[in-house]
Amino acid sequence: MFNAKVKSEVLKGIIDVTSPLVNEVKLNITPKGISLRAVDPAHVAMVDLEVNSKAFEEFNATEMELGIDMDKLGSIMRLSSSGDMITLDYDEESNRLIVKIGNLIRKMGLIDTAGMPDPKMPNLNLPGKVILKASELNQGVRASEAVSDHLALTVDKNNFELFAEGDTDTVNLKLPKDLLVELNTSSKCKSLFSIDYFSNMIKPVRGDDPITIMIGNDNPIKVEFDIAEKKGHVTYLLAPRIESE
Amino acid sequence: MGVDIGDLFKQEKISFKDLHDRIIVIDAYNVIHQFLSSIRQRDGTPLKNSKGEITSHLTGLLHRTGNMVEARIRPVYAFDGKPHLLKAKTLEERKKRKELAEKEWKEALEAGDIKKARTKAQQTSRVTNEIIQQSKQLLDALGIPYIQSPSEGEAQASYMVKKGDAYAAGSQDFDCLLVGSPILVRNLTASTRRKLPGKEAYTKINPHQIRLKSNLKLLGITQKQLVDMAILIGTDFNDGIKGIGPKKGLNLIKKNGNVENALATVGGEKLPSFDEIKEIRKIFLEPNITDDYSLDWPGSDNEKVIKILCDNHQFTLERVEPILEKFSNIKQMMKQKTLF
Repeated sequence: MFNAKVKSEVLKGIIDVTSPLVNEVKLNITPKGISLRAVDPAHVAMVDLEVNSKAFEEFNATEMELGIDMDKLGSIMRLSSSGDMITLDYDEESNRLIVKIGNLIRKMGLIDTAGMPDPKMPNLNLPGKVILKASELNQGVRASEAVSDHLALTVDKNNFELFAEGDTDTVNLKLPKDLLVELNTSSKCKSLFSIDYFSNMIKPVRGDDPITIMIGNDNPIKVEFDIAEKKGHVTYLLAPRIESE
Repeated sequence: MGVDIGDLFKQEKISFKDLHDRIIVIDAYNVIHQFLSSIRQRDGTPLKNSKGEITSHLTGLLHRTGNMVEARIRPVYAFDGKPHLLKAKTLEERKKRKELAEKEWKEALEAGDIKKARTKAQQTSRVTNEIIQQSKQLLDALGIPYIQSPSEGEAQASYMVKKGDAYAAGSQDFDCLLVGSPILVRNLTASTRRKLPGKEAYTKINPHQIRLKSNLKLLGITQKQLVDMAILIGTDFNDGIKGIGPKKGLNLIKKNGNVENALATVGGEKLPSFDEIKEIRKIFLEPNITDDYSLDWPGSDNEKVIKILCDNHQFTLERVEPILEKFSNIKQMMKQKTLF
């Protein structure tokens, strides 16, 4: 059983953090809330999402799985306006999710979750930790998009640094410790990442909201932040790019 | 060639940009055959060197690989090994068709029918041992890795994708899905026009990818049932059942579960025996593959490439040099790591 009432923005937020990476996901539902973990088809990035039932206006569920086509749910949600209250109701008989937006009833076919993977979170040694404002990071990434398709992130005792280099142009964003919410590292860490992936990961966070970054040397990066009015939490992993010579 | 099931699959359009830093294992036989049949003069004569030997495959490999490397794709070529005994019949039939096409090509040339000549000439393309050897030599010089598969190249490609060593198999042939490649990339060319076979018309082509798992889900069948369906329609290893195409084949398998039960409901001659079915399944589901490969892109040895292409095959140096330029990229290429 699953039925819930949720603000349009909250549901859109869940879709926004998931759909850039994966199309089809298995949503795990328990009485306490929903969660999902999925890896993109190229195995470059992982999204891990937990949303507490408190993020919903109403939430009644027993333990179950829903196979959701995120693109489809996204296009349904585009029919709603911000402030709309959305009703979700799982119809077991037809295996469909009934989405109600105002007077509109949209029945959405679900995907078979059998055979959908349960990826494990890899064990990572990431000594560098930075917490910073989303707007600062967003600015650096947006600037980098114009010059290259990859960027370097560096963390040392005193600074967090973002660097991107194209054929003719470069971007450098250096944030000293006092401009960061937190900076903590036992050694200097540097890794390179695809801008395409990375910008998709930080895009859902706006303004002064904090983003937590855990980084190592030529290791995946972990990006964490809250969604759904702090009643939900997102963890991304992104594999690095390695300079071959 | 291969099984004709393309219309059943959902294909996602992609661009070369989506393949940045990705490793693609290319079905070498498939692509070389494509070069031999398409890279020809107007009357169908293939490109040749001063000794009259065909060079269409070398032109094709140089340009295609160059375009991929320029787009920061990392190509690996998988060559066919020994064909399975069950394929012998298909190969024999192909040979006969080619001999016939050869005759018709000459007749069309004599009759001055250039259009027909080209069409017929394209059907004569034969991937000989010599062509394979020359292709490997060129790849060596270009610093592009290749793998000699124990069986079919597409099986090896699919294995490497499954294992996570590569992003996708690159082939026009849907057999890659039968052997279980999680992602198949088709139309891996940078040019956006392709001449329609036998017509004076061009169609716009884009690379696209097919994801096996989501397609199986859409079709509502398992990997094994996909193979069973192919057996009904006909593969390189057996003749199909007359009158059964992809749609009908799919329905029969969904209704009956497997090819054995499906066959019981259709009459007809020359049905494959249960032993044959078992053997064909094994070819696709448990193919013979090798782990003996290393993926390295050391960069091109330009002197060697020029020696092969310009000295041995009379390519024009001014036309080879700008393409070699593209290969200089390869050393600065970065590798996108994966999480697992």
